[in-house]
Amino acid sequence: MTYGLAVDAAVAVMQGIAVFALAPLLTGIMSKAKARTQKRVGAGVLQPYYDLFKLLHKDEVVSDQASWVFRSAPWVVAVSTVTAALFVPVFLPSSPLSAAGDFILVLGLFALARFFTMLAGIDAASAFGGIGTSREMMMSALAEPGLFVTLFVVSLTLGGTNLTGLVGAAAQSGVVLTPSMLFGLIALFIIVLAETGRLPFDNPATHLELTMVHEAMLLEYSGRSLALVEWSQATKQLVLFALLVNLFVPVGMPVSMGAGPLELGAGSLAVLAKLGILGVLVAYVETRIAKWRLFRLVDLFALAIASGMVGMIFFYL
Amino acid sequence: MEISPASSALFLGALLLYFAGAVLPLLLRGRRESAVCAFLPAALGSLLVVIFAAFVIVSGSAVRISSPVAAPLAVLDFSLYIDGIAAFFMLIIGLVALSVSIYSIGYSKSYCGRHSVGALGFLVNLFVVSMLLVTAMDSVFSFLVFWELMSLSSFFLVVYEHEKPKNLRAGITYLIMTHIGTAFITAAFLVLYLQTGSLSFDSFRGAAAQLPAFTKDSVFVLALLGFGTKAGLVPMHTWLPKAHPAAPSNVSALMSGAMLKVAIYGLTRVTLGFVLPDSPGDAWLGLLMVMVGSASALFGVLFAAVEHDIKRALAYHSVENVGIIVVGLGLSVVFLSYGLETLAALSLLASMYHSLNHAVFKGLLFMAAGSVVLGAGTADMNLMGGLAKRMPWTSLFFLVGSIAIAGLPPLNGFVSEWLTLQALLSSYQVPNVALQLSIGFSSIIFALTLGLALATFVKLFGISFLARPRSKEAESATEAPRTMLAGMGLAGGFCVVLGVLPFVATSLISSSFGFNMGLVSGYPPFGPLTVGYTAAGLKSLSELSPPEVLVAAASVGAALLGFVAVASRGRKTTVRPYSTWEGGFGPLGVRTEYTASSLSQPIRTAFKWFYRPHTSTERTYFSDSNHMVRRSVSVVSETKEVFEEYLYSPTTRAVLFVLDKVRKIQTGKINSYLLYVLIVTAVLLLMAAIQP
Repeated sequence: MTYGLAVDAAVAVMQGIAVFALAPLLTGIMSKAKARTQKRVGAGVLQPYYDLFKLLHKDEVVSDQASWVFRSAPWVVAVSTVTAALFVPVFLPSSPLSAAGDFILVLGLFALARFFTMLAGIDAASAFGGIGTSREMMMSALAEPGLFVTLFVVSLTLGGTNLTGLVGAAAQSGVVLTPSMLFGLIALFIIVLAETGRLPFDNPATHLELTMVHEAMLLEYSGRSLALVEWSQATKQLVLFALLVNLFVPVGMPVSMGAGPLELGAGSLAVLAKLGILGVLVAYVETRIAKWRLFRLVDLFALAIASGMVGMIFFYL
Repeated sequence: MEISPASSALFLGALLLYFAGAVLPLLLRGRRESAVCAFLPAALGSLLVVIFAAFVIVSGSAVRISSPVAAPLAVLDFSLYIDGIAAFFMLIIGLVALSVSIYSIGYSKSYCGRHSVGALGFLVNLFVVSMLLVTAMDSVFSFLVFWELMSLSSFFLVVYEHEKPKNLRAGITYLIMTHIGTAFITAAFLVLYLQTGSLSFDSFRGAAAQLPAFTKDSVFVLALLGFGTKAGLVPMHTWLPKAHPAAPSNVSALMSGAMLKVAIYGLTRVTLGFVLPDSPGDAWLGLLMVMVGSASALFGVLFAAVEHDIKRALAYHSVENVGIIVVGLGLSVVFLSYGLETLAALSLLASMYHSLNHAVFKGLLFMAAGSVVLGAGTADMNLMGGLAKRMPWTSLFFLVGSIAIAGLPPLNGFVSEWLTLQALLSSYQVPNVALQLSIGFSSIIFALTLGLALATFVKLFGISFLARPRSKEAESATEAPRTMLAGMGLAGGFCVVLGVLPFVATSLISSSFGFNMGLVSGYPPFGPLTVGYTAAGLKSLSELSPPEVLVAAASVGAALLGFVAVASRGRKTTVRPYSTWEGGFGPLGVRTEYTASSLSQPIRTAFKWFYRPHTSTERTYFSDSNHMVRRSVSVVSETKEVFEEYLYSPTTRAVLFVLDKVRKIQTGKINSYLLYVLIVTAVLLLMAAIQP
């Protein structure tokens, strides 16, 4: 590493800003793709930006039942999600901050955001918020072992929990077609769908009380607070997609920051393209399946955990 | 082994203060000042204990305080021996006792006029002293004496509110379970005595390397059973969720924060001191601990998830956290058996860090729960709600405790859980596939525990403090007195410090256990915690530096504030309070809100195989010919604790059945007793005749 501390910090900040700035675009691409597969024209890919911009200029209505927890939750959610993004190598093979925090920290920060989202759901004393929180309680509890078992498989195969190390090792070994990594991929894909609130776990496009989970918790938010929470959700989605792509399909990713600027640029573009493809794929999956009944989701989580366990067995045997 | 007068004076001073705290309130006989007289000396004494323990740990040498008069019998040797390990656990007890004592000054006033505050002060001081002395004892007899004193004083505290029959039952369960535990501990020590011929811990330590395998295994299992009962490991945990809610809240904080750690102290002493796991054959003992620990963690949190009594839910969380601590301890035994000393140090660090953390945040949570119970007049969460506005400080402290116990950054629970996860991930270095896989599977259970703990604390905090009040009492709740807030604030401060500056704890633990921080380093002070890996030929490090994370988060917060200010430029936005949207039905009452039971309903359904809920539905009809039109439907769904139902109740029934049969020989007639004497004498004579 010939880079100085200032360069490191600059790289981290640039990457963080890029993730934050491009996150709504990914959401836009996904809803466009979903609209096209449903033979609709759909809104433009920039629509999420317009929505967020509009929300930031709107007045807010806050429930008179709500306490300081409700009002501070959007900020806690936004700060912890964006901070988590700083620790993940998304476009570049390195995140300079990953010397200060690892995969487990990123999961911890996401959990902190979810904790406050769930509390905010209860705080307005609405039954809708309660519905969302109680469903999310079950789903997040079951998603946790799925995530961890993937982490276990990935960390065994690639070494450590440091994300720069993991992504670098993945880039070095290319697409690893060992059975353990394949099963890990299955587990992580299912969990990423759950964590980002996609079908069949949650329908981001509905406001029907029978189906909504994440939306129900946010129902009382408006204006600036809603913009913050929505933007954080988009950021989290991009980060998780990037983790999936960079760990399992590291095609085009340079091994380290030592590569030339040209290679790094090409790598970033490759990540962007892969994220777009993954987004379109998820959107396509969403049009093909319906939302599952809440208690059938337990089976899907069990599938994720089981395939992670199979991956672990394959690694050790 | 040197006697340093200054430090021993500190400890003796602390003992004197506790003594004053115990005796003064009894002399005052129920005047208003008795609360201050009992708990102010206790707070000062605890402060001295903390300073003394830190001094012993930092100096790195053990302290021995002998009585000036030689003991007439070697058995009656009550001299104190405080090495790093004992000092570390004294530090834990001191920290909890310090904040709880300050809290108790205000809390015990609520008992004024109803119960004897003097008795409370006396028993609490006695309880703290006995816990401290258990850790300082160096021979079997004196250890057991103070262990028993600790159990008895806490028993009297559990039944302090003795007018409630439920509390008495809880006390009896506690008394029986704790003595079963003591029996196992005594058995473990006796096995060691048979082997070494001495009752002093020194000789146990000296003989540890030459113990035969069978002795090793039996001592280990007996100690796990004995100390595990006191620590609340599944399935010996049943006393814990009964005793903790029955005791006054300051006592619950002490029992959960400090007393469970004394059991962990005993377990650590025996498993890593008197029994040295040094060959791969001992690894199964560690694996046993890992499995019992993960089972405790999972079952504890599952019971907590569906509980609606706030103190009982916290008690079940103690079962969970003790499970996490024992997982770390077990991993360290596994690693030691294979000679992986750095990894053993890592796991032990994780385990001890979590002990310290659990003491601090569970103390905090029980104290906060105590002020909630005082404020809302009930421990049933279904009758709470809206307390965040009425008790802002208490709610803030409870939130701090919740974030810490749920293992979320930036508080202390996250650091110890990070270390435990790293230790679990390092299990691939154990050259045994069966062990690797079983530890791997345990780690999945561990992760599930973390997820469920997060969900449970959403419920605990959300239902108690947020939304609308669900009862009149909750509506008129008021904030706790200042001394109580001060005690909670102190414990909350410990949570923050231990979370943000992990080097404080890591350096304390590494110097008290005397391991060299090779891979796990907390140095330089603000540098990251580092764990090394060599997997698949790649060298990699895992690092965590909470101060840097905090700086990053602060800068992100500032940047976001700036971004939002710039992006929403051009129009001044306002925030307007308005009633919650009720789906267009107009203002709906409290009854439409989610309650503790409904919030955990999905979890209860998802884990139905575990809870085995009993649901009975009763329908009444307007007419018997037409069952389509119902007059009323009532559904009762309850979950009993599976261990009570399927393990303890059958056992109790069987014991009672046998005793019932045995009772028949107690006829009460003198003739039959003479007959028994005759039969016994005949049998003895016969035996004497047969044997040469």
